[in-house]
Amino acid sequence: MALEREGRIIRIVEHAPDTRSLFLRSERLPYRPGQFISCLLPVGGETLIRPYSLASDPEEADLEICLNLVPGGVGSPYLLALPVGAPIRFTGPWGTFVLERAPEAETIFIADGTAIAPIRPMLHRALATAPRHPLRLLYAAESERRLLYRAELERLAREHPLFSFDHVASRALRDEVARRWVDADADRSRRFFICGVGDIVPALRDVLRRAGYERRAVQYEKW
Amino acid sequence: MAKLRVLYESGEPERVIEFDPREAPFQHDGRPGSILDVLLGHGIHLEHACGGNCACTTCHVIVKQGVERLSPSEEAEDDLLDKAPGLTPTSRLGCQAVIEDPDAEIVVVVPRYTINQM
Repeated sequence: MALEREGRIIRIVEHAPDTRSLFLRSERLPYRPGQFISCLLPVGGETLIRPYSLASDPEEADLEICLNLVPGGVGSPYLLALPVGAPIRFTGPWGTFVLERAPEAETIFIADGTAIAPIRPMLHRALATAPRHPLRLLYAAESERRLLYRAELERLAREHPLFSFDHVASRALRDEVARRWVDADADRSRRFFICGVGDIVPALRDVLRRAGYERRAVQYEKW
Repeated sequence: MAKLRVLYESGEPERVIEFDPREAPFQHDGRPGSILDVLLGHGIHLEHACGGNCACTTCHVIVKQGVERLSPSEEAEDDLLDKAPGLTPTSRLGCQAVIEDPDAEIVVVVPRYTINQM
């Protein structure tokens, strides 16, 4: 059985009425940028396992998870109703969708909605480990005002000449990826880190791999 | 009735389940009728840190018998298995490998370790 830990909500940040970050304080948890924890939620007389990517950096004292209300879901309404001070049991860290240093190639991060969560610490780590190649983030959301961490991302783009950040409507994401990194040139040396919810993730994977990018150059996590 | 026999590298006693695949899902995690679904639905624990969403490798099992009777693996499962410790040619993720055949006799081994957890 996995080791159970307990954190306590010490802060709640509301990004939008249905989207929040919960900051958890627990014993120090070593993890790698991109990993997730699995929350154990007592709902309806049983324990639900709900994984959440860590949006915080491993160097930070507290853990940040970022979630939105899933229509018809049972885990997210429970978590979003918790007040500051509430305990949350969890296991982890888990997952192999990780980035520990700037890759030796142009690297494209693609996030859709709250799936920016694991990409954020990956990006921070890449920027902190002397990148020598461009780092680009293409961030999809339903609308521009739904972009999370926007001010931070814009600041990073100003501070780091190798980093650029663009956003796109979620419905246009697939075509935009094909336009930029398949149709525009024959360079297939790029690395990709893709995170999103649902079928868009394998769709992007397929667009890129079928265009000739190496299988291992296209890393992804589908929620 | 299909039969699923579970052996443990850790030395835990083996478990045997007989079930009707047409009654799947047996609970709510993993693909309906998957090895994970069958085990959890019959009170047998199998680690599944991501909730059975094909996002980790903690439900890795090694199929010793009946691998051809399981649903074929998809690209997402194969990509994850690449990162599983102790990968074998008959490794599967318990949350993805579905037992559809009502006469299937499947034997799996649950490995001792996972590298997902630091």
